[in-house]
Amino acid sequence: MIKALLNAARTGLAEVRIHKMRSVLSFLAIAVGSVVFMDSLASIVNIYSRLEQQKQVSGIARMKIVQNNSLRYSTPDEYKAPPVFTYANVRDLRNKLPWLYMVSAEKRTGRNVFEYEGRRVVTTLAGITPEWRKRNFVYTLKGRFLDWNDTENKLRVCVIVRRAVPPPAGNSGKAKREKPRYTNAFEVLATHNDLLGKVVKIDNVTFTVVGVMDELPASRRPKMSMAGYQNYNILAPVTTLTHYRFLREAFASLDVTIDAGSERDFDKAMRMVRNFLKTRFGDVDYFLIENQMGMLQEQMQKSIKASLMTISLGMLAFLAGGIGIMNVTLATVFARTKEIGIRRAIGASRWDIMLQFIVEAVMLGLIGGVLGSALGYLWGVPIKVMLGMGGSPIKPWMPLASVLIAAFTAFAFAIYPAWVAAGLKPADALRAE
Amino acid sequence: MSISCSELSKVYEGGKAGWPALLGVSFEIKPGEFTAVTGPSGCGKSTLLNILGLLDEPTGGRYLLNGRDILEMSDGERSDFRRDQIGFIFQSFNLLNRLPALGNVCLPMMYAGIQNAEMQHRAHALLAKVGLKGKEKKTPLELSGGERQRVAIARALANSPKIILADEPTGNLDSASSREIMDMLLQLNAEGITVIMVTHDKELAARARRNLRMKDGRLEA
Repeated sequence: MIKALLNAARTGLAEVRIHKMRSVLSFLAIAVGSVVFMDSLASIVNIYSRLEQQKQVSGIARMKIVQNNSLRYSTPDEYKAPPVFTYANVRDLRNKLPWLYMVSAEKRTGRNVFEYEGRRVVTTLAGITPEWRKRNFVYTLKGRFLDWNDTENKLRVCVIVRRAVPPPAGNSGKAKREKPRYTNAFEVLATHNDLLGKVVKIDNVTFTVVGVMDELPASRRPKMSMAGYQNYNILAPVTTLTHYRFLREAFASLDVTIDAGSERDFDKAMRMVRNFLKTRFGDVDYFLIENQMGMLQEQMQKSIKASLMTISLGMLAFLAGGIGIMNVTLATVFARTKEIGIRRAIGASRWDIMLQFIVEAVMLGLIGGVLGSALGYLWGVPIKVMLGMGGSPIKPWMPLASVLIAAFTAFAFAIYPAWVAAGLKPADALRAE
Repeated sequence: MSISCSELSKVYEGGKAGWPALLGVSFEIKPGEFTAVTGPSGCGKSTLLNILGLLDEPTGGRYLLNGRDILEMSDGERSDFRRDQIGFIFQSFNLLNRLPALGNVCLPMMYAGIQNAEMQHRAHALLAKVGLKGKEKKTPLELSGGERQRVAIARALANSPKIILADEPTGNLDSASSREIMDMLLQLNAEGITVIMVTHDKELAARARRNLRMKDGRLEA
């Protein structure tokens, strides 16, 4: 049995060597399939590793309390100004559920005028609590961050966020040669002045800059495919902003992001937060709890769908390669009918003939798969990088998988031609020219 | 190895009634006989030989090979029979041109699963026996007609068959080569191998111990 296989392999190799052009063409088809397959596998792995990274950075066990904007009233009399989620509520929630990893409240202002040494620029403020630091912290900090003392005492302190140099727009060579520039006046001012410890004016209210945060360069920041990554310019205690009327407490309900700390505790946290809202604000759904884990899962499902699309594309390419191999093998059978007759006459059984053609096709598939894997590697790393598409990570098992699938495709598509070959009557085959 | 045929007939499909090649042929061949089958072209000689060599099936009659009805054999059994008991020699040699002489001789042994060393040894010996020592590495395209036929004979002898079926073995050869091939067949017959040879060369046929003359798909008495 093994000997028969070996013999078939030997004949197959000789055949491949003799018909170089034909063999190269059929390698090509499988090789293309192999490349596409490897590329799509790589992109899938890429998506998953990104999601994994994101889970690590932003935590999967997150939820957000937001005001419900879709409450309906049947008569005007029924309308009552909806309650707002205040700083006091945040402190309450924190005290009720101290085991939560994070309860971070935030509210942004509209436009504010920032003044330093007579220069005035327009910017925005974000009112926060100290726990803001526990979320997506992708900065390096000089000075100190805001603490509970600042928020409790409504101190006029702030932290300046300096944006990293934005990556050049576009992938063209021209864009890359150009020096990256800030386009925002506040960014220019913040980058070119050491504001730490300085007194600045925001809408004519003096603030002391207690900290300066530098955003990590884009390459070192975890990639975030999920929406919710926002740009911050100035952080100040939310209580200070309310006190000095940057925010009107009666309207400004805080957005609260809660992190249960682990996936296990997520459902429990969700339940307890819902209870908290119910006891505090009654049975009407003035607030909604957005399930960020659900959003993440939804996104994962979307990615899986996209992956299946690309994988099916790779499979399609293999199919095309397989049909190529089938065609070649069928042509080979007809071109070598006489040989089949001779082999049958000297004692080859149907099984021997079938084996010979299948082994030959599988060898074409194997060689094509190896060739395609090499091409796929070239495509996945240097070429894609040169084209500015970002390299795909090629794992060692990917070429292996693609070679195996190429061989299997060749096997599957060679069965029919081999069966045709084996079915030829010896006497008829011998008569062929 | 005895051969016994009774009322063998073969009708090729095609046309309304098909095309009859054999119309009831009966004969027996005893082990060790040298039989020449002669007759004009198209009289069914090659068809008969194909049936005798299990390359084709009769559409009527009985063919007992060594006492077994060949219609009851499976494809695998027939293949084994061809491989181990029958050696073919064709008019157009039917060698694989890609393979050297040695490779062609090895082919039947490969299918018989003979060990590589043993196979090489036997192939060398057989090529020496047919007078082709030193030409083992040549492909058929580099050999003369007579030499090619000798490679074919060596191949036919590879698995020590009991029967040699030769279909116009000298049809493509000059008279000198023809004589040599015929001498070789006679010698093999002297070694105990049954030889059945189809030819329309009367001179060659005369050298066979027994003659079967065919005409229009029948044996002439």
